[in-house]
Amino acid sequence: MSQRDVKQRIESVKNIRKITSAMQMVAAARLRRAEQRISALRPYAGAIRRMTRQAAAAAGSEVAGNPILQEHDKLETAAILLVTGDRGLAGAFNSQIIRAGLLAAAEYEAEGVKVRFYAVGRRGVSSLVFRKLDPAGRYVGFTDRPGYADARHIAGELMAAYIDDEVDRVEIFYNGYVSPLTQEVRREVLLPLQQATVDEEIAKAEEESDGSETHHALVEYEPEPAEILQRLIPDYVEISVFRALLESTASEHGARMTAMRSASENAAEVIDDLTLEMNRARQAEITQEIMEVVAGAESLT
Amino acid sequence: MARTPFQVEVLTPEGPIFSGEVEMVSTRTEVGSIGILANHTPLLGMLAPAELKLYISESEIVSFAQGEGYIQVADNHALVLVEEAIKPDELVREDLQAQIDAAEAAIAESEPHTEAQKKALRDQRRAKIFFGILEA
Repeated sequence: MSQRDVKQRIESVKNIRKITSAMQMVAAARLRRAEQRISALRPYAGAIRRMTRQAAAAAGSEVAGNPILQEHDKLETAAILLVTGDRGLAGAFNSQIIRAGLLAAAEYEAEGVKVRFYAVGRRGVSSLVFRKLDPAGRYVGFTDRPGYADARHIAGELMAAYIDDEVDRVEIFYNGYVSPLTQEVRREVLLPLQQATVDEEIAKAEEESDGSETHHALVEYEPEPAEILQRLIPDYVEISVFRALLESTASEHGARMTAMRSASENAAEVIDDLTLEMNRARQAEITQEIMEVVAGAESLT
Repeated sequence: MARTPFQVEVLTPEGPIFSGEVEMVSTRTEVGSIGILANHTPLLGMLAPAELKLYISESEIVSFAQGEGYIQVADNHALVLVEEAIKPDELVREDLQAQIDAAEAAIAESEPHTEAQKKALRDQRRAKIFFGILEA
């Protein structure tokens, strides 16, 4: 390779490094914002839990009637919700979710259970479509910054499908956020909502209500506590979906940050190698010229 | 005459929206309109989409378009828990119209009395009420 070719390659690798390190910084900034949004959800989730406890204590044992708490008799169709990102360039972030989802689907099908896919993020949708596994729900365009309305929409459609007996179980696959460097694939059963989650709150409510009956009797309810409880229970599903979306977003930015950092480091290495090669080529050229001069001088004597 | 102020907190899944002292809270539960002053009896209510008004003083009113949610009053402290609270001037007419159209299409498509239709009806109600707040 001539000196000029090497120089050009160094320039283009330097440009690539500029892009990857810019993407790394953008991802780092977005990651911080995504982390803040995860912590912003905590007070709301806590307040919903406390209200459930209060309503459950006042309503007595009328919770059991909610259709999303009831397990279906037969498992005929399972719904699998894959939470991926709209964009790539984030290492194994998208592919590991798709792989886990397809593996679970294969297991269900081996047991004779039909599988229905739902997908969040363009990456998930397009790889399902590519495999001719037409997703029943496609939710795209917000994975950079998911809003609660997105979670409510997704959770609402899944709950409607569950209550209307179209599916008998709903599982969610997403990248759980552990740290900026680590994401783990999480698989959770979304529906039926684990009775245990709600039971736990009710058990706590009963403990707390001991001796404070009079306190509860003074509380005004609009409408009846049982009715309030019926709406509070689906909120657990919405919050779970929202948390999964937020964690997935944080994971995506973390994964992209890591991927871009190693791309930048790799580019630096390539630049070093190329610079060495360029110096060698220059040295070779100089040596060549000296040889020519010496040879010329020798021929004169 | 100025009314006694009390603490109010408005919380959404995306973070706190408002926290401070107000003289009155006006909103709507699934039963009907409600106004809350200082020293209100303990209350647990289920909120419907409506305009949430916080009267900081007689002349200063902060308002939001609230989605579905809950209100809890205890110990002279009101906690408003809503899935969304949008400033009226941040509502976008075209978006709301698109949401109404989408909900109406979903209603027409779904079988009567299914959960899918109930969901569409709720979406329609919310979008229509928000549209009304924008118009007002």
